[in-house]
Amino acid sequence: MVPFNYIIVLSAFMFFCGVFGVLFRRNIIAILMSVELMLNSVNLLFIGASKVVGNLDGQIMVFFIITVAACEAAVGLAMVIAIFRKFGSIDTDKLRVLRG
Amino acid sequence: MGATLLFGIFAFLIVACSLMVVLAKDSVVSAVFLVADLFVMACIYALLGADFVAAIQVLVYAGAILILFLFVIMLLNLDIVAARTNAGPLEIGMFIVVLIGFGILVVNLLLGERIELLPPGDSGLSITGKGNSYDLGLVLFSKYLWPFEMASVLILLAMVAGVLIAKRGKKKQP
Repeated sequence: MVPFNYIIVLSAFMFFCGVFGVLFRRNIIAILMSVELMLNSVNLLFIGASKVVGNLDGQIMVFFIITVAACEAAVGLAMVIAIFRKFGSIDTDKLRVLRG
Repeated sequence: MGATLLFGIFAFLIVACSLMVVLAKDSVVSAVFLVADLFVMACIYALLGADFVAAIQVLVYAGAILILFLFVIMLLNLDIVAARTNAGPLEIGMFIVVLIGFGILVVNLLLGERIELLPPGDSGLSITGKGNSYDLGLVLFSKYLWPFEMASVLILLAMVAGVLIAKRGKKKQP
């Protein structure tokens, strides 16, 4: 089996893709999907680390991360719908006002 | 050897799918590639001996969260947002910093010492020897019982928040 180093590199690449998406995409749904990508890269790291130290705590932590990711997706998509109702667009450039 | 080859295939698929997620113009294409990405990650979890987490990954992520994403995309009925990027100097600066950090990390990891995984037959991950799901349930409902209950409260809060935020505002009474 491969060493843990390669798993860290793969995970870092996924996190990097997520950062790229958050910084450069302007579609809010795409930004949310990039956040999911970053959360998943951390999951991969936890599973690999649990295999290195021989401890199940990493796999438990992945459960909680999946829970938080599900909550984040639900609330985030609700906000996307609210933003779309308010502004008629989900382009981040259209959201220039802070006041409701 | 077979496991290494499988890991290579999965890693290649993950890299390709991740790039497609962030580079695709259409949100639907992004979402479909995200499904593929999460599915391949479940394969890697299974390869690393985390069977139950792999099943949960497919059920929750590919089954529930991505359906939610596709549903919202369908609900909003968007045109393809024009393929411009908001690449101001701030974003490009942050991106370069992240790129440098990523490069340093990769070089260090590939040239540094190997951190070996436990061999598949090692008993470190199995407490009772009755399988991954059994052991995971044992740990989850004893050591992590309170965090588990807190997670249920968090899901309840997220549900209430989702309904409240996405609810249509009250119509003004005449």
